[in-house]
Amino acid sequence: MASVSELYDVGWEEMRDKLRKWREDNCRNSEQIVDVGEELISDHGSKLGDDVWIIYEQVMIAALDCSRDDLAMTCLQELRKQFPDSHRVKRLSGMRLEALERYDEATKYYEAILQDDPTNTAARKRKISILKAQGKPAEAIRELNEYLEQFVGDQEAWHELSELYINEHDYGKAAFCLEELMMSNPHNHLYCEQYAEVKYTQGGLDNLELSRKYFAQALRLNNRNMRALFGLYMSASHIAASPKVGAKVKKDNIKYAAWAANQINRAYKLAGRGTKENKCSVKAVEEMLESMQITMS
Amino acid sequence: MPIILTTQAYCKMLLHAAKYPHCAVNGLLVAEKTKDNKKDPSAPILCVDCVPLFHGTLALAPMLEVALTLIDTWCKENRYFIAGYYQANERTKDFRPNQVAEKVAARIAENFGETAIVMVDSNRLTMSCFEPIVVIFDHHENKWKSRDVNQDCFEDWCEAQKITSSLLEGRSYEQLIDFDNHLDDLRNDWTNPVINKSVLDLC
Repeated sequence: MASVSELYDVGWEEMRDKLRKWREDNCRNSEQIVDVGEELISDHGSKLGDDVWIIYEQVMIAALDCSRDDLAMTCLQELRKQFPDSHRVKRLSGMRLEALERYDEATKYYEAILQDDPTNTAARKRKISILKAQGKPAEAIRELNEYLEQFVGDQEAWHELSELYINEHDYGKAAFCLEELMMSNPHNHLYCEQYAEVKYTQGGLDNLELSRKYFAQALRLNNRNMRALFGLYMSASHIAASPKVGAKVKKDNIKYAAWAANQINRAYKLAGRGTKENKCSVKAVEEMLESMQITMS
Repeated sequence: MPIILTTQAYCKMLLHAAKYPHCAVNGLLVAEKTKDNKKDPSAPILCVDCVPLFHGTLALAPMLEVALTLIDTWCKENRYFIAGYYQANERTKDFRPNQVAEKVAARIAENFGETAIVMVDSNRLTMSCFEPIVVIFDHHENKWKSRDVNQDCFEDWCEAQKITSSLLEGRSYEQLIDFDNHLDDLRNDWTNPVINKSVLDLC
């Protein structure tokens, strides 16, 4: 099988930079990381300098995702040799046990870390992940709430909690978590859009209006966010079609929906330019928007 | 009239699950409309294709509504109708339909009474596909009951096994497009013509 460098005609520097990008973006493309990382380490390990340790960590975690225990152990052993008493490496050992579904042993590992260092957030979060993996969402939620009381600025944790609540269909609490995220990241269009989706799902006229406002806000922050555009269209359409709204609100929302429909059609035409296959999508969208207009009036 | 699956439908479901092993995934199953006078009431409904919908968070309404409406429109143009819903849960050990599955299936059932839920048992997903890994749930007396596992639910299991295995080994799932991918970039085609061609080429 051809090597990554042969297949894609890249040098080791590009491979290293790609791994860095994936680290920074927190991508979970584990198969690719394993492919690139394994080759980089074995063929060019000596050129990586101090970067090699963080790459070992990244590749080890990706290897666990791909059931490559051999590769995971290799990386882990190098890290253990280099950093013998490190809690960060101990956490990786724990993750390996999790991957092997030896959850009780893994939990003991993390508790040992926490005995030594009660502020170790990584170990606490792993314990919560174990609860999630074992299908104990209520306990995971409880522990995560306790964690957030102490570490109120941990965005990753707030986001995880919002997802846990969404999966339990507790949309009110999920909305609360997303509100925390929006407050600390007012320019993040994704949080706005997700908040709008949660409000829409909660239902009821007030929530629909709120959802429309936040879809609009997400669009202001990023006018290419298709989910926000579709969301604006759907929420405005539903409000306009509701028997409970007055004539002015109905008229305004029909206007918003019409604007959104226009933008959606434009976006599809732009995307469909030149490709035969996409013509069907364009047509389907046009028809969908037309059919919804009928129900609105 | 229980539903049965073609190779293309089964294949794309598994590719979807394989592309996002760490997420829950879901999608719709579509069948061809037959002329009423030709329809044999006891003949099973053949799901010829599936449309992968989302990965990750499945329990939010707005994009699901958009997808259902859009796909419904597409179905009408192609003389298809939505006949079922598939889902693979986030936890591999869990293959029972949850509230999301039941809600979507109920929505589909408004137009097609014999809607089935097809749950993918990711725990048994292997490259060789030596056994079918779907559990089909039908709606009886207000409950979703799983079908007898020995009941054959494939148009041609041998073909399905051979082709699915081949595509998994070739990592074709990297090219699978779901509705989420489409929303990220409208040029991504959720009808998956590339994968459909690969399936056809292997037949």
